[in-house]
Amino acid sequence: MLRKGILLGLIGLMLIGFGVFAQEPVTIEFWHSMSSGHQPYLVELVDKFMEEYPYITVNLTYQGGYGDTEDKVEASVVAGNPPTMVQLYENVITPLVEVLYPIGPQMTAEEKADILDGLVENNTFDGVLVSVPWNKSIMVLFYRSDLIDTPPTTWEEFATMAADLTVDIDGDGLIDRYGTGLRPYNPELFLNYLIQNGGTILNEDWSAVTIGDQAGVEAMQYAESLVPYSYISSGYLSDAVGSDLVAMFVDTSAGYYYNNKAAVDNGFELSVARVPAGPVNNKSAIQGTNLVVFDMGQTQAQKDAAVLLARFLIRPENTVAWSLRGGYLPVVKSAYEEQAWLDYLVENPEYIVMSEAMVDGFAQILHPNYGLMRGTIGGAFEEVILGASTAVDAMANLVLDLTDLLDD
Amino acid sequence: MLLPFFWMVTTSFKSSSEVMQMPPQWIPSTWLWSNYAKAWSVAPFARYFFNSFFMAITTTIGEVITTIMAAYAFAKMKFFGKNALFAVLLATLMIPGQMLLIPNYVTINRLGWFDRYEALIIPWLASVFGIFLLRQFFRSIPDELLDAARIDGCSRLRFLWRIVVPLSKPAIMTVALLKFLGSWNSFQWVLLMTNREAMRTVPVGLMSFRSEVGTAYELLMAAAVLAIIPVLILFFFTQKQFIQGVARTGIK
Repeated sequence: MLRKGILLGLIGLMLIGFGVFAQEPVTIEFWHSMSSGHQPYLVELVDKFMEEYPYITVNLTYQGGYGDTEDKVEASVVAGNPPTMVQLYENVITPLVEVLYPIGPQMTAEEKADILDGLVENNTFDGVLVSVPWNKSIMVLFYRSDLIDTPPTTWEEFATMAADLTVDIDGDGLIDRYGTGLRPYNPELFLNYLIQNGGTILNEDWSAVTIGDQAGVEAMQYAESLVPYSYISSGYLSDAVGSDLVAMFVDTSAGYYYNNKAAVDNGFELSVARVPAGPVNNKSAIQGTNLVVFDMGQTQAQKDAAVLLARFLIRPENTVAWSLRGGYLPVVKSAYEEQAWLDYLVENPEYIVMSEAMVDGFAQILHPNYGLMRGTIGGAFEEVILGASTAVDAMANLVLDLTDLLDD
Repeated sequence: MLLPFFWMVTTSFKSSSEVMQMPPQWIPSTWLWSNYAKAWSVAPFARYFFNSFFMAITTTIGEVITTIMAAYAFAKMKFFGKNALFAVLLATLMIPGQMLLIPNYVTINRLGWFDRYEALIIPWLASVFGIFLLRQFFRSIPDELLDAARIDGCSRLRFLWRIVVPLSKPAIMTVALLKFLGSWNSFQWVLLMTNREAMRTVPVGLMSFRSEVGTAYELLMAAAVLAIIPVLILFFFTQKQFIQGVARTGIK
């Protein structure tokens, strides 16, 4: 009798065990913008995730560039069938917060504390960590070390060096190589100048536009002063450096692979430094996207699976693996102490500079209209760079446009 | 006009270091045929080509049939509100395509066509531009021909297919070729309306070589050369009719 009881008890425990641990299969959609260069590494990481969680199937779907993905997300939200998970910029996340499933509350305190401070800030909405940072990069200075011994560290040095390095090599009266390069539509580059000069887009409580203050006007005037010494093109600056058209330029660290390859392939040397400091600091813009989970028709099991994937992707060893192969920078503090990362820094010292800049970087503001504001700022910068407007006029118009957006 | 084409073909054989060389390296120092193999392996291009062909051919056939019938009605038949209806149709040409993307996405989803061939084909089986172009051409066919045919007992449908269509071959070929090109190059619609790789087409595959920070030009050009071969073949076979059609309908 006793044996029977023990046996039944064991069977009961086993059944309870199965009930607790056996998981129903669940499939999630993950929309991303990683083209052939990065996609294989993402696939590897997701395969590893599915090995660890065999009941979860992740359908990775490439949705074109960031803009294409954003368009599709917007359409899918209107249609009421967004995917479970997407990579998005903060300015796209902001208007979607109400239909997102916050990831932060599902994470441990240690995990949340491990995310780089600047990245926590730009994924937190109304005090809740809604999304998590993923493929992050930072703006740095790329310079031809075969032309420049010591990179410029201040705005003044940069401007002087840009002028000196703008040269007519063959004496035909035309400039053959410019000191620097500018992409006309580049809101983040202007924001670098703004923040480095102590300016802000809006005041602290977002009740007024402050971009037109003296700091903002000076920042735009500084950009304007660089125009005569700049190769201006909407194309990739890697193409310009490969063609010996520019000596130095500010670009995202994610472009390191292409920039370096273009230089090396053509027999030049390219190095990386922090962006030159403005009068106040040398902070630069953090770029790249974050992971969000949708709460719009997804089952609880799908949302839980997506949160697990997000947490998996930012684990120290995984964010390091992603950074090593994808050219990004780790998004959690402990990753910077991982042996693999430390070894990588020894072999690739330029990433030390990028890491330092990342820790110091500034993020987008999370105003609900920031997406439109960013476009307007980019438009004003473009006008100045293309000579369609003076810095003073562009800033005056920018203030009016941003005030309208603030009032909307 | 041929220079960009020449650059595309020669770049498809270059090494990455030669792509951006200044002054331009017009002829590759070594002809890298391997670029084509590499480009082909980046994405499931065989499937993409099948889908592109299937989509382009079905939409072309469908559009030619619907536009011929609609254009005939507008050119040769009398019915209440014909001109107003035609004006409304023409007005739809002025609506920017971008504006319709989200409503179309919602419609396709509600119809249950998302990620299926229906989404890639059915919305493109008619074209206002094609109707306009053929209507102009059909109007140049004398009404006396129709009168004579009717006296001989010919129905409208028979008149359309046996007399109007053969007489309008150049214009119809123009409509068909423009449609084929449009479908073959369609990118945003396919990207928006599909998720599975098995449903995607060549232009979406070409995006694989671009990223936010750089482009593998030599591979992109290799894939682009492969992508334009079918279009070139089609153009070589139909160029006479195409040029005639464009010349006679006054479309440039």
